[in-house]
Amino acid sequence: MPLFNTEAIVLRSINLSETDKLVTFLSAHFGKVKCVAKAARKMKNRFGAALEPMSHIRLIYFGKENQTLYRLNHSDIIHSFQPIRDDLLKVYTGIYFNELIDTLIPEAHPDPKAYQLLLESLLVLESRDSLETLSRLFEMRLMVLTGYTPQLSHCSICKGLPGTERIGFSFERRGIVCEPCSFKAQPEMRFQAGTLNYLKKLKTMDIKHASRLKFPKSAELEIEQLTHRLILSYTGRELKSYPFIKNMAKIMDTKL
Amino acid sequence: MKRPPAVTDLIEELKRMPGIGQKTAERLSFFVMRGSNERANKLADAVRNIKEKIILCSQCHGITEINPCEICRDPKRDPSIVCVVEEPHDVYAMENMGHFRGVYHVLMGVISPLDGIGPSELTIEALKERVMKDNIQEVVLATNPDMEGESTAVYIAKILKPANIKVTRIARGLPVGGDIEYADEVTLLKSLEGRTEMN
Ligand SMILES: [Zn+2]
Ligand SMILES: [Zn+2]
Repeated sequence: MPLFNTEAIVLRSINLSETDKLVTFLSAHFGKVKCVAKAARKMKNRFGAALEPMSHIRLIYFGKENQTLYRLNHSDIIHSFQPIRDDLLKVYTGIYFNELIDTLIPEAHPDPKAYQLLLESLLVLESRDSLETLSRLFEMRLMVLTGYTPQLSHCSICKGLPGTERIGFSFERRGIVCEPCSFKAQPEMRFQAGTLNYLKKLKTMDIKHASRLKFPKSAELEIEQLTHRLILSYTGRELKSYPFIKNMAKIMDTKL
Repeated sequence: MKRPPAVTDLIEELKRMPGIGQKTAERLSFFVMRGSNERANKLADAVRNIKEKIILCSQCHGITEINPCEICRDPKRDPSIVCVVEEPHDVYAMENMGHFRGVYHVLMGVISPLDGIGPSELTIEALKERVMKDNIQEVVLATNPDMEGESTAVYIAKILKPANIKVTRIARGLPVGGDIEYADEVTLLKSLEGRTEMN
C-alpha cells in the first residue's frame, strides 16, 4: 500500500469512536485528505498536539490511491501556533479559516496555492492583531483562488465604468452594476465608490502584507457585508463559525 | 417474509444508539427475544429508570437520583474548591482517582464553534453565580486538553476574573488531544497536583 509523505495543516479533528479520531488535513501535495487516527483519544496517544486544528505538521499516511479514507501513520509538529490558541478571538478566527477551506476545497485535488494561503494566513494571525482586515483578505483571496472572483473593474452587464457615487452589486451576476443598468439588474447591495478600491485591493494583495491594509470605519461594514454575502452565494449556506465569531466578539465586548 | 413489528421496533430503537448498526441491533434483539421474560423485564426497567430516576443536581449539574447529589451533600467535602469538568462522566474519572476532596461543576459540554455551541449553551453563568454567592476559593478547570477544552478554560478564566479567586488549570501536562475520561489515575493525579494558575 502506498505511503504518502507531505506537510499539512490540520483542519478538523472529530471523535470517530471511543478510541479513534477522524482528522481532516489540507496537505501541501495531495490537497484535502481525511485520515483515521487509531487510538488518538487515549491519554497516552502517540499523536499529541499534532492532531489539533491549525497545527502545521509533517504527515505520513497510507491507503489505496483514490480511496476517501486513509490511515494516519505518523505526524510531527512543525509549528503549533500556540499564540493563536492562547487568544480566544484568534483561535475562533483560525477555526473560521479552516471551515472556509474545508467547505470550498474539494477532497483529493492538489491545491498548493490554497495550502500556501492558509499557512501564511495562520502565520499572520499568530503575530498580528488586526483580525477583521485579515479575515476579509482571507475570504477574498480564497474566492479568487477557487475561481469565484467578483467582477469589480467594470459593469457586469454593459461593461461600462462604474459611477463615482454609490455602486450596485449583483450577487447573481457576481459583479458590480452601473447606475443605468441598475434598473434592469436590481443589485441586491450598494456601497460607496471608495469601498470599491478596497475590494479591488483585497483581490490581489498578498496575504503576507495583510498588516499594511487598513480600512476606514465607513468602509469596514460594507466590505464585510459584501465578502460575507459573496461567500453565502458561493456555498449556498451559512458557515457555523461565522455567526459564532460575531456572537463571541459581542460577548467579549460586553461581558469581559 | 417480513419481521413481526415488535422485532423491527426494537431493532430500530437499538440502531439509534451510538456505534450500533443493523447487524448488531438484530443480534441484540434476537438475544432479548430468546432470553427469559425476567431478563427482558429487567432491561426494560433499567431503561425506564434511567429516565425516571436520574436527574441533574441543581448545584453541580452532575447526574444523581437525589438532589443535591451525594458529593454536594457530603459534609466531608470541601465546598470552597470546585472542579469544572465537561461531562457528567468526567466526575467519575476524577472520583476514581480518589484524591480530590472538593466539589464539582459540570459544564454539560464544551464551547465548540463548529457544533454551534456557545457559552450560553453551557452552565457557565450558573458557575459564575456559584462563585459569587458561595464562598469559593479556587476553581480548578479540568476540561479536556484539546482545542475546545483549552479555549473553554481560557473563556471561563476570563469570565471569573472579576471574582478575584484562584483559577487553576489541571490539564496542562496532560497529553494534548487525549480525553480525561480515559486518563489513568496516576496521570490524572499528577495533573491535579501540578495544576497551574491561569492569569
Ligand atoms: Zn452597466
Ligand atoms: Zn451535585
